[in-house]
Amino acid sequence: MASGEMGRMPFFYNQEGRLVQVDYALQAVSRGSTTLGLKTKDFALLSSQVKPTRPLMEPAEKVFVVDDHIGATGSGYIGDVTTLLDQVRVAAQRHRLVYDEPIDVGTLSRTLSEYLHEFTMYAVRPFGASVLLAGVDDLGVQLLQVDPSGTTFKGSAFAIGQSSDEALETIVKGYRPDLSVEAALALATEAIEAVNGGKSVIEHGLVTAASKRFEHQQLPNAVA
Amino acid sequence: MTTTVGIRSKDGVVLAADKRASKGFFVGSKVVQKIFSLDGATAVAIAGAMSDAEYLVNLAKAERRLLALRRGYPLSVKESAKLISNIVYSSMKSYNPFYVELVVAGVDREGAHVYTSDMSGAITSEDFMSSGSGSPIAYGVLEQGFRKEFSLDEARKLAEAAVRAAMERDPGSGNGVDVLAIPNGHAFGGAN
Repeated sequence: MASGEMGRMPFFYNQEGRLVQVDYALQAVSRGSTTLGLKTKDFALLSSQVKPTRPLMEPAEKVFVVDDHIGATGSGYIGDVTTLLDQVRVAAQRHRLVYDEPIDVGTLSRTLSEYLHEFTMYAVRPFGASVLLAGVDDLGVQLLQVDPSGTTFKGSAFAIGQSSDEALETIVKGYRPDLSVEAALALATEAIEAVNGGKSVIEHGLVTAASKRFEHQQLPNAVA
Repeated sequence: MTTTVGIRSKDGVVLAADKRASKGFFVGSKVVQKIFSLDGATAVAIAGAMSDAEYLVNLAKAERRLLALRRGYPLSVKESAKLISNIVYSSMKSYNPFYVELVVAGVDREGAHVYTSDMSGAITSEDFMSSGSGSPIAYGVLEQGFRKEFSLDEARKLAEAAVRAAMERDPGSGNGVDVLAIPNGHAFGGAN
């Protein structure tokens, strides 16, 4: 097949073996607001910068409750983020209906990743959003990142969105496995503010192994 | 089978139900719970096929959680009753009905409410409501004993008396009474 023909079918692999639509989706994510996830064995923290709003406009919600014990945040096209969020919320409730138990974070991320993957297979636009999931289940505190390709990463710290590489550097420098919640809040705030030119409005969400509940609140610079 | 009762008082709602599960003329279980809470402020008393009723309650719980998460505040009692009756109605219309009669009771911003939803999806709301095979007997006690100015405790006593009367004469009801009282202004919301 001539390369010109391939160019007209962007949902196929190109000659380097890349799915350009998925690459573009990742680029869309990297234009989103800086968003972080941080995990120790005792808690997981999600933090997202809320982009400066116009006067008289309320800031958008950035950190979401998925179920009692799981929370999510995302970066990229906010419409795509909220659509994906609804998918995981429905998956969490469906799991409760079938098993009468709260869903575990791994199963939830698998559901999300399978859903995202569908959109890399056909002539449709993949989601322009990455999602961070934080929760507590029988395996402990969990933090996962799910990308538009459907790829899932497990880990102790993630950064997505604008200047995510620099933000992650700050996190890596300050991260310790015995971090306190207060220190983690300060570290996340520092990392986001360092790449966004100072004081920013940041929304945080927290789940602890002790409470097993994901709580989020608008905390404009809780730790300045 | 079953007797359930819901009463609205000026300071809250009460649900009461017996504990018998019948298998034809046999007492299948003597310790069945027929009152389920949808969240801290709304509860359902079930009568009819236990499997259908429990499935319906779980489905309602899931749908309520989703809506509360999506819009950021919980459902009113009326919304909860309507949600359940819509599910029941659509099943009836597709010739696959839920064999249930539910009493939905709770408190919200507007105060205390009691609704019943039958297997056709019809919902009605009155100061006191009863469902199940023992309901004609329970209604006799309720009609005689109910006063609009009842406190929550007086309502609780009447609800229990109505179920106990039904248990005396209805073979489908018996083995003890469960009572749930929800006072007005009770922390409403909560995921469970």
